[in-house]
Amino acid sequence: MAIFDVMGPIMIGPSSSHTAGAAKIGYLARRVYGRPVERVHITLYNSFAETGLGHGTDKAILGGLLGLRVDDPRIRQSYTLARQQGVVFAFEQAIDPDKHPNCAVVQFTDADGGRPFTVEGISVGGGSVKIVAINGARVDFSGKHNLLFVTYRDVPGMMALLGDALGARGINIAYAQISRDKNTGQAMAILKLDQPCPDDLTSSFRSNVDVTDVVTIGKLGNEYERSEED
Amino acid sequence: MSAPKKTDALQEVQRIRIHGLTEARQLMGEYGIASLAEFFITYESKNQELPRTEVISRMDTILEAMRGALREGREHPNRTSSGMIDGGAARVAAFASAGGSLLGTSFSDVIRNTLAVAESNACMGRIVAAPTAGASGVLPGAYLTVADLRHVPDERIVDGLFVAGGIGECIAIQASLSGSQHGCQAENGSAGAMTAAAITSLFTEDQDAVESAAAFALKSVLGLVCDPVAGLVEVPCVKRNVMAAVNAVASAEMALAGIRTVIPFDEVVQAMANIGREMPNALRETSLGGLAATPTAIGIANRFKKSCAGR
Repeated sequence: MAIFDVMGPIMIGPSSSHTAGAAKIGYLARRVYGRPVERVHITLYNSFAETGLGHGTDKAILGGLLGLRVDDPRIRQSYTLARQQGVVFAFEQAIDPDKHPNCAVVQFTDADGGRPFTVEGISVGGGSVKIVAINGARVDFSGKHNLLFVTYRDVPGMMALLGDALGARGINIAYAQISRDKNTGQAMAILKLDQPCPDDLTSSFRSNVDVTDVVTIGKLGNEYERSEED
Repeated sequence: MSAPKKTDALQEVQRIRIHGLTEARQLMGEYGIASLAEFFITYESKNQELPRTEVISRMDTILEAMRGALREGREHPNRTSSGMIDGGAARVAAFASAGGSLLGTSFSDVIRNTLAVAESNACMGRIVAAPTAGASGVLPGAYLTVADLRHVPDERIVDGLFVAGGIGECIAIQASLSGSQHGCQAENGSAGAMTAAAITSLFTEDQDAVESAAAFALKSVLGLVCDPVAGLVEVPCVKRNVMAAVNAVASAEMALAGIRTVIPFDEVVQAMANIGREMPNALRETSLGGLAATPTAIGIANRFKKSCAGR
């Protein structure tokens, strides 16, 4: 740990796991989605469902989805803020023993309810969180790395293409994961990078005929750095 | 000439690893560092690869946020949606100003200020989790109240916050700061130990006194369970903040008077960890035992769940 893990974070109360953690899940989910948030459906699971309202878990996760950080007092008025910004939101509570005790699933859609995109996050204690699934694909992302998330038609050579292009720019890959969905023929590559992926590189990946979608997520700043301890 | 050598030795150090307070104090001797505050500033600067000035400026921000939490908590009538928290700080303030204080207004201030921050936290106020949100009232309530009463300059107050952080770090290394792992002894207990050490450090350079204050505060709450009613950070959490704050002031005063701990601080922390490991799951933030399992608490929890479902 570090001294500022003990003395901090500065946050909106009352709970590091149920309030600060929830806000951070919303914030990360927004960054994973990477497009303007128009319509969100949030399912709070287990302890988030049972004690969430008393901890402001709903307000916190919505605040995070609107881009508020864990110490932003506007979290308290996130419902009003969302309506002012024209964001349509709905909550659901559920119990699922297969999911983490503090779990939330955020489903984004565009204004017409199309193009669903889901992000699942868990709050693991002390304000630390992890994104554990993106559109059903298992991931492990806590905001400590720069992330590149590429969805593409499952053709050979995609990893080499990505790796070469990043390598040519001196960007090191800390971790890579690929998975595919046999039904849709879509594959997903999730890369953790030591340096952020530059915009022009993201655009060039996006223009590849086999690529469906590219999402880049920058590492979170100090306000969200907290060790996995406690 | 050993002094310059010590400085050189410190300059060559890349990272500082400690297993507890005893080792921290040994290294202070080795590196020629006079105070715990300076040791933990160096510790953070080396380990996080941050310039010393940046480390201090981050703690300035923490102090500012704690003061803000105190201000917010004192100004707002804090009432939670469960109704269990209902403006306690304001009541104590009114009682004290009507001349009701049992031990003088300074003691009332410690109670009132601790309540103010802990209640504000329960009402989604902006606080510093130190070490946790559930125990966020203790440092501002006891440490800042004593420091302001004694007109301690901000620079010294910030130094004391490094002592508090260092004591918390020693607990985190050997045990945990989390109620779900070791019960409330790890949350309000740790906050009390951190606060007692910080207060003591304002008035003495004697590290035995600082260590004793932390040990006294923690020893007195060993075994304290985490049993929040309806799973909320309200009952008994808010009043346990007050207990920890008052205990911290008393511990600091005993240490400053020259009383020394028989059991070294690290051994107290290890005892806390051992007790925490033996603590049943029902008493570790699950709300399945203790106060949370009383008939009244179960009734409150059921009513609260129903009102939430209706929203």
